[in-house]
Amino acid sequence: MSDNHHVNYKRVYLWLLALLVVSVAGPFIGILSVTLITAFGIAVVKANLVIQNFMHLRWEKTLAKWVLITSLALMALFVAGAAPDVMRHEGQNWVNVAAADAVDRGVVDEHAEEETDVAVAEPGVFDAVGQFNLICAMCHGSASDGMGAAGLALDPRPADFTDPAFWETRDDQRVKTAIRDGGVAVGASALMAPWGALYDDAQLDALVEYVRSFGPTGQ
Amino acid sequence: MSVKPIATTRSATGIPTGRLAVWWLLASEVVIFGGLLGSYIMHRMGHPEWAEAAVHTNTWFGAFNTFVLLTSSFTAVLAHQAAESGQGKKAAKYLLLTMGGALTFLLVKSVEWTIEISHGYTITANTFWSFYYTAAGLHGLHVIAGAIIMGFVAADAWRGEELQRVELIGIYWHFVDLVWIFLFPLLYIAK
Repeated sequence: MSDNHHVNYKRVYLWLLALLVVSVAGPFIGILSVTLITAFGIAVVKANLVIQNFMHLRWEKTLAKWVLITSLALMALFVAGAAPDVMRHEGQNWVNVAAADAVDRGVVDEHAEEETDVAVAEPGVFDAVGQFNLICAMCHGSASDGMGAAGLALDPRPADFTDPAFWETRDDQRVKTAIRDGGVAVGASALMAPWGALYDDAQLDALVEYVRSFGPTGQ
Repeated sequence: MSVKPIATTRSATGIPTGRLAVWWLLASEVVIFGGLLGSYIMHRMGHPEWAEAAVHTNTWFGAFNTFVLLTSSFTAVLAHQAAESGQGKKAAKYLLLTMGGALTFLLVKSVEWTIEISHGYTITANTFWSFYYTAAGLHGLHVIAGAIIMGFVAADAWRGEELQRVELIGIYWHFVDLVWIFLFPLLYIAK
């Protein structure tokens, strides 16, 4: 730019540094509204100082200002259009289940230490029943009768652990091998997947014990 | 400074064409960064639990880098001032200082990210950290690009050539500074 603007750049720079100090110090007062003003209010002031004095926009032709204002307006339009979807988690005819769940999980985690009486499985203790209901019950059914929703279409059908005839030819080791290495490993259906990657030896024993509890007692 | 009859110094609008091109570039940058930061702000307001993740960013790294970028903007405008009075070598020196600021910024950033990543705060840790690395990373790429272009402009300016470009790279650099002025409170102060 050939015309001289007589900006005292050093003074602008020192102002910017002073404002930076204020924006860092703001949160130490501990009042949310003060923090928001010192953080974002000051960011706007700093931005304006840079735009006007360093970028010389205040001496620039109107055309350049319109170019920038147009793109700012387009950006604002985008934000305004997306805001209802992003910021609200439910409307009259819709619910953003994933976002609402994320908030719930996050907020619960935050207070986890205070709410120790909530029924959560202790970490480190293997929940065989829970694992059975999560993994096995899909095909074998939560009643263990081979009537799980995903098992209904399989051929051969998933084993019915409540059938005494099933247990006549089974022992714990065979059940354990079948869980760990799949049906093929014991000469049964290939549709029984191997689950060994999910469980260690003691956990497999716990699962076997739970599965066996559906069979005739005393066997 | 010799005025050559080429597009960068010609003017049909009252604004030198090169400078008008930079304004157009910045207009597109406004939409890129504005869209990204706007999305971040909207998500942040819809997800109060993000505050839990945000407390782990280090305000002092952010504040120091703000200081570095404000200082580099100051040296960039001094380079412009020198170029206007035809002092190519002085302009080149100030541009080198500005590039030093860019390098310092990137070094601080890499130390900061190394610490965060080694503590498990990676780009996939949760959506807050995804935005953190995407926004700061996109800004970092602009710092790198600006510093490289500044090297070419400084080399020309040292020989007293293409001095009008010193102002153009300066305007771009101030914009990079501007983006950080907003990223700093968004990622480091709002906790």
